[in-house]
Amino acid sequence: MIHVKIIHRILGVLLLIEAGILLLCALLPLFYGENDLFGFIMGSLLAACFGLLQMMIGKSARNREGAMSRRDGYIVVAISWVLFSVFGSLPYYVSGYIPSFTDAYFETMSGFTTTGATILNDIEAMPHGLLFWRSLTQWIGGLGIVFFTVAVLPIFGVGEVQLFAAEAIGPTHGKLHPRISVSGRWIITVYVLITLLCAVSLRLCGMGVFDSVNHALCTAATGGFSTKNASIAYFNSHSVEYVITFFMFLSGINYGLLFFVAFRGKLRKLTEDTEFKWYLTITLLFTAIIAISLYISTPYNGGASVRNALFHVTAIITTTGFTTTDYTLWPPFIWMLLGLAMYFGACAGSTSGGMKSIRIAILFKSMRNEFNRILHPNAVLPVRVSGKVIPPATKQSVLTFSVFFFALVFLGWFFYLAIGIDIADAYGTSLACLSNIGLTIGDHGCNISWGDMPAIGKWFSTFLMLVGRLEVFSVLLILTPSFWKHR
Amino acid sequence: MRIVIAGAGNVGTHLAKLLAGENQDIILIDESEDKLSRMDSSFDLMTIQESPVSLYGLKEAGAGAADLFVAVTPDESRNLISCQLAHFLGAKKTVARIDNYEYLQPKNKEYFSSIGVDSLIYPEMLAAKDIVDGMKLSWIRQWWEFAGGALVMMGIKLRDNAQILDKPLAELGKELPYHIVAILREGETIIPSGNDTMQAGDLVYFMTMKKHIPHIRKIAGKEELPDVRDVIIMGGSRIAVRTAQLVPDYMNLKIIESDINRCNRLTELVEDRVMIINGDGRDPSLLMSEGIQHTEAFVALSDNSETNILACLAAKRFGVTKTIAEVENIDYINMAEKLDIGTVINKKKIAASHIYQMMLDADVTNVKCLTFANADVAEFNVMEGAKITRSLVKDISLPRGVTIGGLIRDKEAILVTGSTQIQPGDHVVVFCLEGMIKTIEKYFN
Repeated sequence: MIHVKIIHRILGVLLLIEAGILLLCALLPLFYGENDLFGFIMGSLLAACFGLLQMMIGKSARNREGAMSRRDGYIVVAISWVLFSVFGSLPYYVSGYIPSFTDAYFETMSGFTTTGATILNDIEAMPHGLLFWRSLTQWIGGLGIVFFTVAVLPIFGVGEVQLFAAEAIGPTHGKLHPRISVSGRWIITVYVLITLLCAVSLRLCGMGVFDSVNHALCTAATGGFSTKNASIAYFNSHSVEYVITFFMFLSGINYGLLFFVAFRGKLRKLTEDTEFKWYLTITLLFTAIIAISLYISTPYNGGASVRNALFHVTAIITTTGFTTTDYTLWPPFIWMLLGLAMYFGACAGSTSGGMKSIRIAILFKSMRNEFNRILHPNAVLPVRVSGKVIPPATKQSVLTFSVFFFALVFLGWFFYLAIGIDIADAYGTSLACLSNIGLTIGDHGCNISWGDMPAIGKWFSTFLMLVGRLEVFSVLLILTPSFWKHR
Repeated sequence: MRIVIAGAGNVGTHLAKLLAGENQDIILIDESEDKLSRMDSSFDLMTIQESPVSLYGLKEAGAGAADLFVAVTPDESRNLISCQLAHFLGAKKTVARIDNYEYLQPKNKEYFSSIGVDSLIYPEMLAAKDIVDGMKLSWIRQWWEFAGGALVMMGIKLRDNAQILDKPLAELGKELPYHIVAILREGETIIPSGNDTMQAGDLVYFMTMKKHIPHIRKIAGKEELPDVRDVIIMGGSRIAVRTAQLVPDYMNLKIIESDINRCNRLTELVEDRVMIINGDGRDPSLLMSEGIQHTEAFVALSDNSETNILACLAAKRFGVTKTIAEVENIDYINMAEKLDIGTVINKKKIAASHIYQMMLDADVTNVKCLTFANADVAEFNVMEGAKITRSLVKDISLPRGVTIGGLIRDKEAILVTGSTQIQPGDHVVVFCLEGMIKTIEKYFN
């Protein structure tokens, strides 16, 4: 059953919240005396009108437990991401700073999905208000648009379970608290705390207030938008790089675990967690290999090798996508390692994209079991995660997910080749969008100029970003015919 | 309230669904991943896949901080152990489902609380009680008591001979000794206003006081129905034994059981005034020879839900006025009700609602809630300065689909009409369509 009225109503409420956030952002142009005020006002106004219209359509929907089906949840989540991006792009478009709507939409979707790919060639020419809105889109999208709005403002009272399930990240859902709204609030608390700590640390490292806030928002969201053309390299400060590395890594950990460590003092939960161990090991292993090869093959000294390796491995594994230097100038061997890390992603239940370490762990353990099965044909071989045997259905869905993920990367690769992008860049672009990294690998540098891509390529990129952000199935599901049958 | 439910069987899941709708913190613990995953993905609760009798599992589920611990696995000894462990961990109150009548005896209560089991529920006992209540007032389909019995609500199926048909409610007169709170017509629930009428075939819910019950029986056209004196029970199950122990002396009971060994055992379990007959309860000639035509109530309690439903339909053909069927298959309940079987008994549902009621009684919050026929019943304590107290009931524009049934003031029950003035401190019983509780809550706070 699809309940059109309930869907309209929830979308209406969500849009009203976006209108409110846009209106708050309009304070910045007033404060800095810049000319992007009209863009925010228009964006807010249109979002509010459309939101009210939706609420009117859905007014008579009965607010009843169990009235919302799983299908409704998936539809609401998919549509709200698209609608948020449409209305979120209005400030750029109306104020004239991004004159093409395609570009404005690309920039916003790249923001909400925390991809961090930008069509802007001169970021520093943007007014403060738009720069802040750009960072804020990442922060809102970091934990998921619907999750963020529903957890901050528990206004629906119904359907939260369905909504969260449709937007949830990761193959297994451990709940923190019996009630989903309470868990949501706990997670948001961790998120806000990380952001605040990051902003304060960056300020202490000598960054300006505006820049530290913006970078903190994008770091906690593992988004990767910077207010500077040269990204983090602009600040030319080792301490800034280390601080950002630390907070990127922190934001890549499951927020539920962080909550238990920070507020319940259960450090053991972290050390017992299979996914965290894999995440840490992969990060350290890749850093070590890359640092050594940098030391051997480039003029970097020891400290610089380690720093650069650590920064970029973390930025890519957490799918943040900050840079301090163009790593495609390093030996191609290293690109391939980074390219591999792009698939991995950090932990499920964090703000990062990619396939997530837990799936990698389950994949590897399943593979190992296949080998064991050849040696011991009658053995019953379980896959354990954090000491618990995972059910076969979870294993199955992880395998299916991985196949889909690879297939989509290849599909994207073909598509970009078809519209005339070089073979290496096309692969890197496809992976950068699907994993929500925004950094690519290829002959044209890690920050290819997305602005030069044909319009159809930009629209396709936004699609890949959304598919990657909502973990493949949520979006593909509503594109299947059977989803719409038997209404 | 933090409520831990051990066992995700029919009782456990039914209870969890009821409570999750009430914004309680529900943790469901069971060993079966299959049973849990279905609940986890569609209801606002947490599931823990562990054994209900493992200390580790109970700790994981937070049984130590639980306000209420409910053990409803199919096995009574596991339930008792589970409750003991939860009590040991620090659960405030524990409830175990049991299958043994001896445990329920008052003299054993102290022993069970000493080992950490605060309450016991015995679904067969509760079911037997429901059956006997249903037979005592055979013309009533459903029956609820509010505020300790001061107000009662009853669901009655109206036939052509009722006196109050086809008249708008407003024309029935003022100062009626009853209040019609809901009408169930062809599967649709109507919360009536003054313009609505009652029609033959409607299931009408009356709110009234106990002293007015004879009057309602008269206007509902149920006076000529004979009281139940002769009862035939098909199937000598444990419920049948409990029922036999509970029926009042004026009723004559016959139990038909096909297994001769069970029959012999039954003769030891029940008193002499109950006749045990060995045979198949579905056999018309046997029923005829046992005088089914002169029997007022037929109760089908065999292990098989389908058999029970069919046997009741057959009994109806013989002219039995009250039929009661035990239907353990939850999916069949609606169907059985549609087939006009007087009362449908489901042990699991009864057990779940009983625990639910226990929880409500223990809860100090304002709203109590009960769902019947797609409508919610809520009890409110009216606050000082609440919106509802500002004028007469008819002058307050209550939303459509809401009606105030009655209230308790100074321990006295009053039925509410348009000209009633509600005062702070009143305890009000409100009826509304499902999901409207939140909307009407603001009128009372």
